[in-house]
Amino acid sequence: MQVGPSQASTSTPIRERFQIKSKHWLFLMACPFLVLVFIFSYLPLGGWIYAFYDYRPGIPLSKSDFVGFHWFTAMFSNEVQRSEMVRVLRNTFAISSLGILTSVLPVIFAIMLTEVRNASFKKIVQTFTTLPNFISWVLVYSFAFMLFSVDGGFLNNVLMSLGWIEEPTNILASNQHTWLAMTLWGVWKGLGWGAIMYIAAITGIDQELYEAAKVDGASRFRQIWHVTIPGIMPTFFVLLVLSIANFINNGMEQYFIFANAMNMSNIEVLDLYVYNVGITGSNFGFATAVSIMKSFVSLFLLFLANGLSKAVRGETII
Amino acid sequence: MLIKKKWPTFIILVCLVLIFVTACSKSNQTSNNPASIGENGEVDWSQEPEVTLNVFSVLANYAGPQPGWFAKLVKDKFNINLNIIQGGVEGRVATQMASGDLGDLIVGMGGKDYTDAIKGGLLLDWTKDDLLETYGKNIMNFAPEALEANRQQYGDGTAIYGIGHSIGSGDGPSEGAEMTFGPYLRWDLYQQLGSPTIKTLDDYLPLLKQMQELQPKSDSGKKTYGFSLWSDWDGEFSTLAKVTAQFHGYSESDGFNPGALILVKADEPDYQPILDDESYYMKGLKFYFDANQMGLLDPDSLTQTFGDVSNKFKDGQVLFAQFPWLTPAYNTPENTAAGKGFALVPFEEQNIYSSGFNPYGGNWLWSIGAKTKHPERVMALLDWMFSPDGIMEGFWGPKGLAWDLDDNGKPVLTEYGLQAMYNGDTPVPEEYGGGIWSDGAGNFGKLNNTTLALSQINPNTGEPYDYKLWTSELTRDPDPVKKSWQDTMGVLTDKELFVKNNQVAVSKSFFNGQAPVEEPSDIKLKRSQVGKVIKEYSWKMMFAKDEAEFDSLKQEMLEKAKGLGYDEVINWQAEQTTNTVFTIYK
Repeated sequence: MQVGPSQASTSTPIRERFQIKSKHWLFLMACPFLVLVFIFSYLPLGGWIYAFYDYRPGIPLSKSDFVGFHWFTAMFSNEVQRSEMVRVLRNTFAISSLGILTSVLPVIFAIMLTEVRNASFKKIVQTFTTLPNFISWVLVYSFAFMLFSVDGGFLNNVLMSLGWIEEPTNILASNQHTWLAMTLWGVWKGLGWGAIMYIAAITGIDQELYEAAKVDGASRFRQIWHVTIPGIMPTFFVLLVLSIANFINNGMEQYFIFANAMNMSNIEVLDLYVYNVGITGSNFGFATAVSIMKSFVSLFLLFLANGLSKAVRGETII
Repeated sequence: MLIKKKWPTFIILVCLVLIFVTACSKSNQTSNNPASIGENGEVDWSQEPEVTLNVFSVLANYAGPQPGWFAKLVKDKFNINLNIIQGGVEGRVATQMASGDLGDLIVGMGGKDYTDAIKGGLLLDWTKDDLLETYGKNIMNFAPEALEANRQQYGDGTAIYGIGHSIGSGDGPSEGAEMTFGPYLRWDLYQQLGSPTIKTLDDYLPLLKQMQELQPKSDSGKKTYGFSLWSDWDGEFSTLAKVTAQFHGYSESDGFNPGALILVKADEPDYQPILDDESYYMKGLKFYFDANQMGLLDPDSLTQTFGDVSNKFKDGQVLFAQFPWLTPAYNTPENTAAGKGFALVPFEEQNIYSSGFNPYGGNWLWSIGAKTKHPERVMALLDWMFSPDGIMEGFWGPKGLAWDLDDNGKPVLTEYGLQAMYNGDTPVPEEYGGGIWSDGAGNFGKLNNTTLALSQINPNTGEPYDYKLWTSELTRDPDPVKKSWQDTMGVLTDKELFVKNNQVAVSKSFFNGQAPVEEPSDIKLKRSQVGKVIKEYSWKMMFAKDEAEFDSLKQEMLEKAKGLGYDEVINWQAEQTTNTVFTIYK
């Protein structure tokens, strides 16, 4: 059955030349992107050198003091320092885990959306849920402040005038359920956007499968369960594995903007910590050292997730 | 064949490189000599070609081209457009420094950033090509000691890279009519309550409670509070709680070293580590905690920004002001005509911190970027800002608009000026640049820094630069609130009241010919980590549920801060202050 390459090449020498050429072509076509990957993903690694220097902006590295692994050991130098790192990592992992748990929500939302028959209603819902993705976190916060501030905030006004509460509550300056609150804001902002990928995947499912299911007497729910969900599983898993690799990078914008003294101990994720200690205090060496550690953890998590995927589904993405 | 094919590519490459190289070198060959030199060697800068200068201001609260009358003024005099780069944003100085170009004029950068910039070759040496001698006559005339100080501290005795702010000489407080701090109370409510005497800071609390009961609603019907704070200006601690130290003559800086975590007495060799049980910072935290327990503290204090607080002042929602510049928002002509307004009500134990005159200049330095293409024009602009005319016009607008000289050569506010100084929304005539007054107003527009101290005497008029200290202003009929205050207190200005009651602690200027010792990176990292803890816990303590929670948070804060190296930071800072500023008292 199998046609070996040797067989093919001996039979048609012209074809062989063509094959080599097409290989070059493909490489050439990929080249610009390889260059971009190199520029944006590998070149910046050169910046790791700052972790080994006492760098101050404006002064070239050649004139800065070499400090070796000082910044790395500073992270774990004493009890309090270690517990700070533990606290920050705990926040990072908690918020990321909640993020991964909620990553099924866009899937459910996408399936429900495609099941809507009324096209104009579907469009309206999709537009309104996608829109928050384009609102910056700064605006989201001012919106949140209008809703939840103690003095004249919408929620407190409504609850007070209904007589449900006596004293206004300060939701923004509260240490209760910070992780959950942050996740919910994230879901609100990203639900519609996250569903787009799945809607595309659902559209790509062969309609004949649905027809066949119908012929077999499958109800609408059965069709979803046996056709739609298996159809979008590969997409879901790829995104899941990638999000596990990103487990430790949950960004900082959202947390930076929502942070205040009350919730700082629960909201300070790794990226925000690097910003607060490194950039604000311009301790660039220390900030770089923390980022390097972060990269290694990310790499480890990516291989772990990939390994798990291989064990569970027999498929890998790398 | 291969070689043949490669040749054309190689030639093209070489050509490209040549183009880039020539393009680069060309831009460096701009002429530095102004074309339009008048008869007696004076340069008419307005005849020079139009340029846009990048002004990197660490103090600016604004970004973009300078608007309003100040822009017009600079354009007319120098044919220069100013593009303000806001450097106060977190991390902005570092980014700009790393880029290797700080812009043409650098405003307000001091401390370690300044020394780093010199080390990195980012600042222009003013002595090169006689730049200062040729174009900086006013600076040399009015601030010779500050120049000399900079030469010795930062220029190895030869080069001059910048000059400090608020330069002046003399005894007593260097402030103008108002001090830097309050406290201010709603004068009308205070009088209605029979103007009780206030002995200590804590005595304000029951008084404010009564005021709050007297005036439970603001103008727009919202709940009133004794205090409304904001956290967006916090560095290593809660800025508002720290103001308590300044009420008692202490400050977080000794005026020479950058400091931060020790509170230093203005006129005695005494300091308090910020977290000491008895420190005025901790007293401040307790003060606001008590206020919160009594329902006097705005619960939004933690989440709001300064802009929100400003609006609350405007609306009359707040009854206590820590700073004088918070009060104009409420003391509008309409409110004061109705007898409502803020006025200074100090407490008997108060001993307000005051910066004395400093002939060597403060730490918000003016400097010029090493990469500027127009060093002579930047220097000329800076020199104008150090001249008497430049200061008058830079602060109070072009002569003839808001102010003018009377027949005796004394400065007076015009009818227009009386409007504009108290209402920033006053429209500006088109010939002066249009827009509204506040577009161009500020400390040299949006640059937001001073050159000579405003309480210094203008040699041309014989009166101070600050319009609030002009004879014409001091003798003008005050508004009803101010009038009532002046009659009660028996003085004309805030400063007079403090001086009369002997409640001022004036800091002394220090100079030993050396720059402050640089903070080691280790201490710096520890300081920023400790500062983070202090800031976080301070707010938690102010809003603690009860005394027990307050105390346990305090313990937690101390433990954490100490674990992160608090003691080392305090020791290092105390050592610097003892070695430098405290030697004055020996």
